[in-house]
Order: sequence, then C-alpha cells, then structure tokens
Amino acid sequence: MKILVPCKRVPDPDQKLRLNAEATDVDSTALTYILNPFDAIAVEEALCIRETTHPDAEIIAVSVAPAEGEDDLRTALAMGADRALLVEHDAQLDSWNVARLLAAVVEREQPALVIMGKQAVDDDANQTGQFLAVQLGWSQATFASQVEFTETGLRVHRETDLGIEIIHVSLPAVVTADLRLNEPRYASLPSILKAKKKPTEYTTAEELGVKPEPRVRLLSMELVHSQRNCEMVTSARELILKLRETEVIKG
Amino acid sequence: MIENSSDVVVIGGGVAGLSTAMQLARRGVSVTVLEREQIGNGSTGRAAGLLGQLRGTAEHTRMLMDGVKIVQELEEQAGTEIYVQTGSVRVAETAEREKEIADLVEMGRSIDFDIAPMATDELAKRMPYMRTDDVAAACWCPTDGHLQPAELAAAYHKVGRDHGVRYETSCPVTGVLLDGSKARGVETPRGEFYAPILVNAAGPWSHLVAGLTGTTLPTAALGHVYLTTQPDPDHPVDRLSPGFRNRHHRIYGRAENGGLLVGIYAEECAEYDMETLPPDFDMSAMKARRDDFHLAMLIHAAQQRFPWINERTPMHVTTGIMTFSPDGLPFCGQLPDHEGLFYCSGFSGHGIVQSPVIGVIMSELILGNRSTYDIASIEADRYWGVPGFQERDEIEQRCHKMQGSYYGRLEGKSADSKTDTA
Repeated sequence: MKILVPCKRVPDPDQKLRLNAEATDVDSTALTYILNPFDAIAVEEALCIRETTHPDAEIIAVSVAPAEGEDDLRTALAMGADRALLVEHDAQLDSWNVARLLAAVVEREQPALVIMGKQAVDDDANQTGQFLAVQLGWSQATFASQVEFTETGLRVHRETDLGIEIIHVSLPAVVTADLRLNEPRYASLPSILKAKKKPTEYTTAEELGVKPEPRVRLLSMELVHSQRNCEMVTSARELILKLRETEVIKG
Repeated sequence: MIENSSDVVVIGGGVAGLSTAMQLARRGVSVTVLEREQIGNGSTGRAAGLLGQLRGTAEHTRMLMDGVKIVQELEEQAGTEIYVQTGSVRVAETAEREKEIADLVEMGRSIDFDIAPMATDELAKRMPYMRTDDVAAACWCPTDGHLQPAELAAAYHKVGRDHGVRYETSCPVTGVLLDGSKARGVETPRGEFYAPILVNAAGPWSHLVAGLTGTTLPTAALGHVYLTTQPDPDHPVDRLSPGFRNRHHRIYGRAENGGLLVGIYAEECAEYDMETLPPDFDMSAMKARRDDFHLAMLIHAAQQRFPWINERTPMHVTTGIMTFSPDGLPFCGQLPDHEGLFYCSGFSGHGIVQSPVIGVIMSELILGNRSTYDIASIEADRYWGVPGFQERDEIEQRCHKMQGSYYGRLEGKSADSKTDTA
C-alpha cells in the first residue's frame, strides 16, 4: 500500500512577522520555515500505520513549493517517510490549484490513502484536502483525531464542534489530520543520517500536465496590531500605579 | 539632574545585568537597565540553571559557594524559592572518567567542599530512572542543586527596583555616546540615556554592542538545546532528585516538573550570526525543527543513560543561544580603549549560577575598588590585542572549539590546570 502525505512549507508562526513593502505578502527575508505542524501529524500517522498494521506501506511525502521546499520534505524523510517528491513551483497558488497538482501526483503514484494536515498554519484555508477528495472522486474524512483500518476501509473519529463523530469511509480516501490525532516524533540520529540517502524527485506543474489557473488572488495583507507591551509587576500597588499612569483607571 | 541620566547604564536585562544593577543600587548608585526586549527574555529565560559548585580552581568554587549565600538572602528579600538544593552526582563509565572523578573528590576535599564517592547501588536508589549497570564510579555533592532562572531574574528585578533601579524594556541600544575615549551614554529609539559608566551585559549581542565603539569582544553566540520529558508514571522523577553530569555522553540534567531535563554540550553546535537576525528577534520563540541534528544528538546521548527516552517520548524541547568565550570564562571589567565602558558577558552557559557573585564583583570594579575575589581569570582584557583572538571568524572558531571540548576533555590532575570545569 502506498500512502501519500502532502507537506506544506510554512513560515514558523512563532516568529515575529512583517509585511513586504507592497503589503502583498509577509516579508520573507530572515524568515524561518517549518513543515506545517498539521502535516507533521499526518506524517506521524502514516509512520504509525506502517509500524502497526501495514508494515509494507510505502510513505511518499510530496510538496508544492519553491526549491527550498526540499528542506521541509527532508524533515518528513528524517521522520521516516520513504521518499519525497517536490513539485517545484515559485508562485503563490490557491488551494484549488494545489489540489489539482496533488491530484495529478495521485494519478501518477496511485496511493490508497492520502493523509494531510487539516489546514496549513500560514493561510488557515482548510480547503486543500476537501478539494483533492472532490477532484479525485474519493471518500474524505476530515478533522481526524483517530484512524483505524477495517476490512473494508477506515474508521475515523472526526473532531467537530458538536463532539466526536465516528464515520466509516471506503478506500481510496483523503484523511485530514486534526491536532489530537497523535504527537509527532522528532527524527532520531540514525533516521536523519538515513534520510540523507533517501531519494527526492523533482517535477513541475508542466510535467504533471497541469496548468495552474488561479481562482483566488491575494490582494493585500495587513498585520493584526496588538499593542501588547508586557511588563512584569511584583505587587498590587505597582499594578495600580501602572494602571493610573496609563489612565486605565483614574484617581 | 538631566532627564535620562544616571550614574550607570546597564545594557541588557538578563541575570548578569540585573545582578550588577541590583548590587550597585544596594551601594547607593543610581542605575538604569536598558533591555531590548523584556526582562529575562534572552538566554536567562532559556537556562536550565544547574549549579555545580566544584570548579577547576578553589577561587571559582568559592565564588559559586558565596553565590548561594547571596541567593539565600535574595530569597528572603523577594519571598520566593530560587535555590533548589537537590545535591548532584557525576557518573563515569570509562577508566579515564573514573580517574577524573577520583581526582575531583580529592580536589574538593582539599578545599573543604562537601563531596564523596557514591556507590552504584546508592546511585540507583536515588535515581531509579537512570541506567546504572554500566557506571564505574560516581560522586555526590550534597550542597549542589539548581537555581530557578525565572525566579532569580524576578528577584534581582524586584530587589533592584526597591533600591531605585530604573528598568526600560523594549529599548535596544543602537549607539554609544563617547566624550573622547570616555563613556557618556547610549542611543536608543527611545532617546539618549546618559551615564559616565556603561555596562555591556548584552549576552549574545554583547560583541555587537562592543562593536558600536569599534571594540573587539571575543564572544560568540552558540546554540544550545535541552529537552524536558513530560511526567511519565513509569519513570517518575522526584522533584528533589539529584542534578547529574555525565561527561562521557556529554549530558547534564535535573528534575523538572515531574519529568527529566537533559541537555548536551555536544562536539558540534549551531552558530548564530546575531547581526543577521531580525532586530526584533525573540529568543523565547526559538524552537527546534523535528529533524534538528543537534536535538537528535541530544536524544541519542540521553538514551544511553536513560534508555526510556527516545524520539517519540513526549517532551518539550528548549533551544536557545549561549554566549561563549574562548576559554569558557566570562569577561568582567574594562578594556584599555575606553574609560567607563565595562563588560559583563561570555558566561558560556553558566550565567545563571555565576550571576550572584558576578554582580558583587562588577559593582566592586565599577566603584573603583579592588575585588574581594581573585578575578585574574575572568578579567575582560585577557585577550586584548592577543593575536588569534581579534577577527570574528577566528573568535567564533575558538569559542566553538571551547564549546565542543566543554564536556569532551578530561579534568583533574592530568588535565590542563588552567581550564575551568563544567
């Protein structure tokens, strides 16, 4: 069985972000990128499947990203994925078009299962998994917090606002990982060394026969301003003085 | 008095600067502390705080022992627990490390430091979560433990403020004002601050602050990583379990919140170019990638002594930046090029535990007195003009090498007596 894990390269959300001069995107200078944390959960789930029920599973990490995206595929390989595929693409793509590229990869690789993060922490779109399932005509199980194989498919716990929904889906399927699905591992030393020898294949939209046709265009960005300026106070008296000073309270 | 003017401006609100400011204020000096971010947010906020008082020289041991006394006073004044006395062990698994421990016991006893060999079964009893079947020798220092970094910084801050120290946060220093070769003040985005004495306690940024006056300070910013396991009912770690050092595997650690904290001084570490980091870089937001090589080395080393730890163990990973010097010792005092410019940096991973006494030493130096300690080994000018310690790349190379040999080299009688121990 093949398991395809789409992996998105995202700016580390914990760093301070700035906008570029035109305010059309975040300023990418000195930005640190990571593997989308929800995709790391998806990688972990694929590894767990291989370690428990499907020892023959082949795990393929795929990313649509500029050339630097290889770094984040390397993370997936170091965690334990078998091989990686980078669809090199420099321009911003909307979720629909990312899904089209992933669908073309699925056509080529013929996995039985696609597991990916429920959303990426940069644009929080929460669309690609759903779009991909629709384009492929596959079952989908989104917001998964537990995945079990059955004789005929997958039994999936879905985290919804109303509670845990338990569904059964037939394979092939697209599963999107929620936060509580698992706790992703760190890469071990032997695994990092082994990952250096694992193959990464490069392709392009053109080679996949897909011509991206953007449906959504990013017009501009604004930073959310929180004027938060924390200062530690050590007594109630000091707190009151500060609040008076800033005229939060009067008198 | 002119606005923004004080006797001393301290650049950096980590433990080094905070301790210095507090000690100066206690002696009646007016002090302003300028911090680029928030108080204690840099290396201080990332530190493990392990206190191992037995050092390579009697004087360094005395400094740390006195530091504990200062901390105990601080605890009373600030009403908080800072020093957690757990005792500490060192374990050895090779013949040469066994000899090292025997030498340390002998050296400790010669200066009346409380240290004794510890039998393996006793070790196993105190640290049931540790592998001991391969341990050849161990020693026990009952008066060791750790300082809680956040509580220590808060206590310096509080007691300092009670003595009139002014703290300005989100206030990075962008320029140094000179009057000829004499310090006059600093520039910040919030205006100028004037003082005839400036203290550069800017941690990993201190060589950049030194650069503002064209001064070379031989420190380098090196990465460090430690992990803290989540409490595991199969491997409970009592709060008062001993701190440990295992130099063969290059690891150290202690109990933390029911879990185990383990850090490493590996042969290799990350290097940071502080100049290229964003101006609003926040060390507390640093995190390790899932495939971080240094973290993998740490997990691998930790697993040798604690076989239940692996890459899937639920854990919190702390990464930060340490300020290393070429010999692992800090720089305290003035350099020949400017008057009134004091340095207090390069603690090489030991800033927390050295800070109590360093504050005293700095205040003695600043007030023009001789220090009550023999500070030859930590004087700021010991590499002044020394070839091989002037260019950034050679400085970084030497500091990196120091970091790598920190746990790698041997100590005791056979070792180089001039170098300090970890």
